[in-house]
Amino acid sequence: MTRRLWMNRFSSRICRRSMVGAGALVALALIGTACSPVDPADGDSPGGGQSSAAGQDVFGEAADAAQVKPGGTLTVALSADPDKLDPTLSRSLYSRYVFHTMCEKLYDLGPDAKVVPQLATALPTISSDGLSLSIPLKQGVKFADGGTFDAAAVKTSLNRHLTLAGSARKSELGPITSIETPDPKTVVIKLSKPFAPLTAALADRAGMVLSPAAVAKLGANFSTAPVCVGPFKFASRVAQNSIKVVKDPQYYDAAKVHLDSIEYRIITDSSIRSANLKSGDAQVADSLSTQDAPTLQKDDTVSVLQSQSLGYQGLTINIGNANGIGNPLKQLDTPIAKDPKVRQALALSIDREALVKSIFNGLNTVACSPVSPKSEFTSDAAQVCPAHDPAKAKQLLADAGVSTPYKVEMITSNNPDSLRLAQALQGMVKEGGFELVIKPVEYAALLDQQDRGDFELLQLGWSGRVDPDANIYNFIGSTGSQNVSGYSSPEVDKLLTDARQATDKAERIKLYGEVVSKLQQDDPIIYLYRQRNLTGVSKKLLGIQVYPDGVIRTAFAGFAK
Amino acid sequence: MRRYLLNRLWQSAVTLVLATIVVFAGVRALPGDPALALAGEDRDPESLRAIREQYGLDQSWLVQFWQFVSHAARGDLGESIRTGTPVRSMIASALPVTIELSVLAILIAGVIGVGAGVVAAVRRGRPAEWAANALALLGLSVPHFWLGLMAILYLSVALGLFPASGFVPFFTDPVANLHHLVLPAVILGTGLAAVIMRQTRSSMLDALSADYIRTAEAKGLPPKAVIGKHALRNSLIVVVTVVGLQLGALISGAVVTERIFALPGFGKLTVDAVFQRDYPVIQAVVLVTATAYIVINLLVDLLYSVIDPRIRVRGEA
Repeated sequence: MTRRLWMNRFSSRICRRSMVGAGALVALALIGTACSPVDPADGDSPGGGQSSAAGQDVFGEAADAAQVKPGGTLTVALSADPDKLDPTLSRSLYSRYVFHTMCEKLYDLGPDAKVVPQLATALPTISSDGLSLSIPLKQGVKFADGGTFDAAAVKTSLNRHLTLAGSARKSELGPITSIETPDPKTVVIKLSKPFAPLTAALADRAGMVLSPAAVAKLGANFSTAPVCVGPFKFASRVAQNSIKVVKDPQYYDAAKVHLDSIEYRIITDSSIRSANLKSGDAQVADSLSTQDAPTLQKDDTVSVLQSQSLGYQGLTINIGNANGIGNPLKQLDTPIAKDPKVRQALALSIDREALVKSIFNGLNTVACSPVSPKSEFTSDAAQVCPAHDPAKAKQLLADAGVSTPYKVEMITSNNPDSLRLAQALQGMVKEGGFELVIKPVEYAALLDQQDRGDFELLQLGWSGRVDPDANIYNFIGSTGSQNVSGYSSPEVDKLLTDARQATDKAERIKLYGEVVSKLQQDDPIIYLYRQRNLTGVSKKLLGIQVYPDGVIRTAFAGFAK
Repeated sequence: MRRYLLNRLWQSAVTLVLATIVVFAGVRALPGDPALALAGEDRDPESLRAIREQYGLDQSWLVQFWQFVSHAARGDLGESIRTGTPVRSMIASALPVTIELSVLAILIAGVIGVGAGVVAAVRRGRPAEWAANALALLGLSVPHFWLGLMAILYLSVALGLFPASGFVPFFTDPVANLHHLVLPAVILGTGLAAVIMRQTRSSMLDALSADYIRTAEAKGLPPKAVIGKHALRNSLIVVVTVVGLQLGALISGAVVTERIFALPGFGKLTVDAVFQRDYPVIQAVVLVTATAYIVINLLVDLLYSVIDPRIRVRGEA
């Protein structure tokens, strides 16, 4: 059977099963998209200037002021409701979309995923022992409430991130001992140990600076009326439905802001998000489904921006998380938990190429490690991908003394995309000698089961951070807070700690390469693919950009003249 | 009447207490933990502990239940674990949307349902009855989400007649408000219209064969007056009850419709709160819904006893 034929048969089988298993709404979403023959995406598909070859990023371009008319309200269809609009307490990814327009950070990410100054004027100066970071600040900057942005304000914000009850930023900031303000335009951060990921953390919510006056007034209720430095300021929020921000005339670069206001409208269903984009009720829609994106790419009124995420989707195998996370590790008494050969066999029986082509229209990309190829810490060693080899998988299972088909139960989220992936995997691993039993669970329940260690195998992803440490350490370090696999390897722990404390970039790159090699032998997590951040944008709009951090940059966009 | 009223009020109070207990226990029996759902990706043991402490989730169920009930009795429904917004203000902003949507849906369903029902009864055995029956069957069997999606695809995306999402408060711009709500209300009303149609048809048929109608006809009243004044008026008693009973279906329908059209209503609030395990919000919305149900049932019963005094007498006996 040719590969193409196999894939078509494969996808039609998935389709039939999805119709039965995933419920009527899911089925409906699939009608007309998933059930049409799968066309592997190719580079020359028609779709206007913004279409691109599989794997190629389209970040969008900055708006040309001459082509943009001033004013207007932009409606953004958001796939999930952001949580608290408080940079200290916020934990959801989606809050970052809104923060981007109203809370600037000390640092930001450029299109190449490198850290660039935003409210700082330059990258931090790090002392030779790595224990002191000096950050120079912009001058003449005002908060939306008119207060002055200076070193004292930065200090107040950082201290709040470090001390407020329930702060989600504390662990990101590392071992900070004190924050000093030698003068209004300089902040010096003192550390007890060198902490390389700090600069990247300051390019995310930990680097957002809150108005000290608003913090003093609202305290822990800052999220009800957040005030920061930004092109837009908070206007109103209707719980679980919409958030509105309006242009801030006090903003230091207000001349570059074209729109009057932005409304974020929460529309959780991806097909309805894309319908809103097509009808013009929304001009931007995030997280398009890989099922809808090809149709939208062919639409004359819409363009699709795509960027590869810094995260991954994978299979986590429960090795030593028998008692739940936070409790002492205890190995499970199953062949897949005890014998790395069985886990390797599972990894080898997955054809990642076929997976991304048949399930995700070739829009997502293959992943074999936690280090994104877009990261500046990548290397050849970090991108090695063992070839799909079901024969070898069977051999490994025989060597491990396991009778086939070897039955494994996998829990997965019950959304349409996860179910399609699970069913595809089920079909694939059969060839390698595995019988995958799929247990779809609702997302909140999945997280619960994951932390209690109540699973054999689970499928979940990580949205990704700029610094590789934040994508690896917590998940496979023996003491990692999210080591739900219960994996423990003194060798990997040492490599990760060294990489965390190394100040030399080349050294870190080498160490992460070694971590990946070791992980591919032990397979506590089988990395599958990297998601693409797919964003639909109306062609009436100019200047929408999406960088690898997945945040949609809307602040400097405007409607075309 | 007073004894009947007191009796019904007492029954309602017991129902409300039972509903509160069931909801509280039910929410906690759901798999998943609000602290985990809130923490999402960024979770670490320390912040999970902090969230649990902050919202009293580390306390025993009994303590949590007492907190909930004693606060609710004082009108304090707590704040959303997810967004920190007071639940009272969330409900206050969501409830009017759903009420407006439901009232519109009932009006639309009533006009279509009663109209079609009368036609089906009067034109019994003719094509008009067939058509009305077929429409009713369709209205009952086609799910809201499918109708909603089709409406968005054809009426909003292809023809651009109605907005696909969003909401404008009535007092900000009444025209825009109705423009946004008509489509969701029609879709929400389809099931109800079908039920009303069937009910109107069958009770009209009963009425039309009753003695008093023959008397009215014999007196030489014009058909319009016979059907409108005598037959329809008597048939409507049953229709009112049916509408009351169908309100539950209407609210569960609103959940789907509001999600599809991104309307900031009560249904959407409820479902999202359940997905996020936002305990204070779930508890409060169910409490409010239960209260609404009980009050509506009470009102329907009272309305019933006003329309037909025999019921009141039986209730008192």
